[in-house]
Amino acid sequence: MSYGLALIYGVLKIINLANAGILMLGAYVTWWMWDAFHLDPLLAPLIVIPLFFVFGVAMERLVVRRVLDQEPIVSLLLLFGVWLILQNVAYVIWTGDTRAIETPFVDATVKLGAMQLSWARIYVFCAGGITLAGLQLFLTRTHLGRAIRAVAQDREAAKLTGVDVDRVNAVAFGIGIALAAFAGSLLSLLFSFNPDFGGTLQLKSFCVVVLGGLDSFVGVAFGAVALSLAEAFGLRYMAASLQNLISFVVLVVVLIAFPKGIAGLLRSMRRG
Amino acid sequence: MAKLIGSLIVLALAAIVPLVAPHAEYVLGLLFLVFLYGTMATSWNILGGFAGQVSFGHAAFLGIGAYTTAILAGLGWPLWATLPIAGALAAIFSLLIGVPTFRLRGPYFAIATIGVGEATRLIALNWSSLTGGASGLTLATTPPLIVQYYLALALCAVCVAIAARIKASRFGYALAAIRSDPDAAETLGVDTTFTKTQALVVSAFMLGVAGSVYAMHYLFISPDSAFGFRTSISLVIMPIVGGIGTIAGPLLGAAIFTVLREQLEAYFPYLDLLAFGVILCAIVLFEPKGLLGPFDRLVKRRG
Repeated sequence: MSYGLALIYGVLKIINLANAGILMLGAYVTWWMWDAFHLDPLLAPLIVIPLFFVFGVAMERLVVRRVLDQEPIVSLLLLFGVWLILQNVAYVIWTGDTRAIETPFVDATVKLGAMQLSWARIYVFCAGGITLAGLQLFLTRTHLGRAIRAVAQDREAAKLTGVDVDRVNAVAFGIGIALAAFAGSLLSLLFSFNPDFGGTLQLKSFCVVVLGGLDSFVGVAFGAVALSLAEAFGLRYMAASLQNLISFVVLVVVLIAFPKGIAGLLRSMRRG
Repeated sequence: MAKLIGSLIVLALAAIVPLVAPHAEYVLGLLFLVFLYGTMATSWNILGGFAGQVSFGHAAFLGIGAYTTAILAGLGWPLWATLPIAGALAAIFSLLIGVPTFRLRGPYFAIATIGVGEATRLIALNWSSLTGGASGLTLATTPPLIVQYYLALALCAVCVAIAARIKASRFGYALAAIRSDPDAAETLGVDTTFTKTQALVVSAFMLGVAGSVYAMHYLFISPDSAFGFRTSISLVIMPIVGGIGTIAGPLLGAAIFTVLREQLEAYFPYLDLLAFGVILCAIVLFEPKGLLGPFDRLVKRRG
């Protein structure tokens, strides 16, 4: 999910507040396909990813493009409105009841030495890792991926070298949305959820992205690790209910101390 | 001048409503909410509209005001005496927040305020000895509705007057300069951080007092109601729907918001926020000046 945010921010220079809504929708679509059509939730991403890619591209074409040239705060407010719509549409359709996916696979566990691990967690971990590797390959090895990175670095220069910026914007937004929905689909295997699902995670992924630096992919992975460590250590010293507080405090502190993220810090250290 | 006379007429009309219809409790209650939300929207607008610093965490100040009143009333203070303390505590808290967060700009500031708002809610939720935790606090007594009505009306009138004064003052111009270009403002000799902090403190003080009235009206407050993200959301939506950065806009937005919400909440829960999401998107896309925009054009065409 954080990668989706970083990608969208990097390319379009807008902050996608609707990501939490997409994450929640991804989880619901997975659940709904399992509940209504008995589709194995493990296969759901095969449908979720293309579906939301199309949705993201459509969203960029119809709505986001109109505000791209305006001040950043305008797109922030717009996507915030989109989030409100998604969330409350979900309330209307699926009610506020908490849903969970329960298949034999989700509950199965495996013993690894002294640790008891659930298959679902292993699956999610692997799927996440493979996706990130795939994304990295796509961004560095394919023509379209390079075009995306070029636009992220300098929109005008990319235009001059013949990159179709509008198309790149739409594709990047689509990928970002698809990643968020994919993350939602994976998380639905681990947690139960309701239409508010994603709000806290959204803040956390902002936190991760900000920690890592808003347009650096290595930095984002770094940020994710740093935040999980901070939360895990924090838990040893304070009540579990305060766990979320840690992310917010880290977010605020990092935003203030190094607005360019860890990657920016490293870069300036190398220079200076 | 015409505007001043117009506002005085509206104020006078609002003041005689309870005299004309002393038993129309539904109407009085609804108008009370319009004034209260109008106050809240106006105070958000001072920072978010005049200075362009969009905050998603303003519920924190409302919550602090509400909790101050509830806690002090629990210690036996008279309710009226808690009003200024509620404002003052919210203002002090805003200083603590403003100093670090104003180093950030635009969207970064907005994100940081989400964090601040949620962090205050979580603290209120977990500091049970002071706040009663998730079960909240209850006030023992409340002033009669008619007193609440005039209190909210007076508060709203004072806040709108202050906002109007600010907008037309040197301070207001400095805020407008920050909104359009912080670097240029700094070059022209505006101390941007100090000016933004001033706006935040004024805004927080008003919200703190509004929070105090909020607690008196609802009698029961909990971290999710007073500090909730929904509250922060409505604070953002009202001024934008009405007309961001204007004087009448937040009031118009508050009136629409309150009436729509009361109607929708009764019949279709969740639909109110859905409707506001749609309205917010529509306004941002088609009428960035809010609902006052078409009205302004009409007046200009005539004049």
